[in-house]
Amino acid sequence: MTAPLIPLEQIPEAWNNVIALMLGMGFGFVLESSGFSSSRKIMGTFFGYDFVVLKVFFTAGITAMTGIIYLDYLGVMDASMLYINPYYVYAAIIGGLIMGAGFALGGFCPGTSFTGVAIGKIDALVFTIGLFAGIFLFSEAYGLFEGIFNGHFMGTSKIYELIGMKESVFAALLIIVAVAMFFVATWVEKKVDKVNY
Amino acid sequence: MNRNYLVLIIIAVGLAIGILIMDREKQVKQLDPATLAIAYNEPSRFLTIDDVTHRLITKDPSLVLIDVRPAEQFKTFAIPGSINIPLDSLLTPSAVQLFSARDLDKVMYSNAAVWSDQAWLLLKRLDMPKVFVMDGGVNNWFASIVQAVEPLPTAPREEFDLYSLHIAANQHFYGKKVADQPIEKPVQKVSKPVPVIRQAPEESTGGGC
Repeated sequence: MTAPLIPLEQIPEAWNNVIALMLGMGFGFVLESSGFSSSRKIMGTFFGYDFVVLKVFFTAGITAMTGIIYLDYLGVMDASMLYINPYYVYAAIIGGLIMGAGFALGGFCPGTSFTGVAIGKIDALVFTIGLFAGIFLFSEAYGLFEGIFNGHFMGTSKIYELIGMKESVFAALLIIVAVAMFFVATWVEKKVDKVNY
Repeated sequence: MNRNYLVLIIIAVGLAIGILIMDREKQVKQLDPATLAIAYNEPSRFLTIDDVTHRLITKDPSLVLIDVRPAEQFKTFAIPGSINIPLDSLLTPSAVQLFSARDLDKVMYSNAAVWSDQAWLLLKRLDMPKVFVMDGGVNNWFASIVQAVEPLPTAPREEFDLYSLHIAANQHFYGKKVADQPIEKPVQKVSKPVPVIRQAPEESTGGGC
């Protein structure tokens, strides 16, 4: 059996939504149990007293990356069949800025706001209402944003291809950077006054 | 520092070094142009209609007959027992799986031999084993099996043998009756009744000893 299972027709496509639902529930459970439903914990990244968000997402990134590279090398998975998000430069930069600002203001990212709602947090609920209002406004005004939204399309580029680096070198460097980042984050956490929440 | 973190860091760095060492440059396995040219000029990549027909009738399990024409054409008319893999879906994962089977003869046909030849070239380049082209395609099939024409009486014996194979195939696939052939009736000898001439019995002389 070779992964990815659905694109390679090892699992019927009808299972797509079922598996997505189970993965989503698992993801939500892990987010909540790691304390990501607290906006104070997430804000710790911006104020320097708690870097758990950064650490968790960085770890998830390098774990997935290492897993894909090794499984592909061992022939268990065909990495060329994986879906890669298309890269629209303007949309990525502007969307990233808006998302970051919303993150810092509201103390949630979309996923964590839903885990907050699930345990009954009012600030998360307000954030989610804002989120849907934003989606609605964007959809209604799509005609205005269309040019920016589809601007400067660069296909399914990968970072190492854009900077002209070998995939293996990039991956190894990313792991080293992640490890270094963990040390720095822990050091900053110790320097900054502890906030109780 | 926590000892668990140290172990995790060592594992992460170890994996990073592993990624640096491994050679993941993938090269698509394909034939080099010179080998491909030799294979292309090899007449054995063509199978004749008669060979394919014979194997179809005998239900040869190693034969897979593949129609590479678009699906609409396949629905309109196709050789019985064939499957349809249009040229544009030739490299889908399931098709590639079929073509990589080492113990099957994959025989492709199209209307003439243009599409099937293109399919052959593509598959051969990817080094797929045992791929063949059915010579003449559907046109030839139609001419020789569906509308079999009786050879001239002066034709060599082989042509008559082929003709009877074609007629048999026609019967096998389409269940049609053999074209009306004047069946030679056995010559019946009409013999005139030979008159039996009986001698009149001699008249008894009567009496006796």
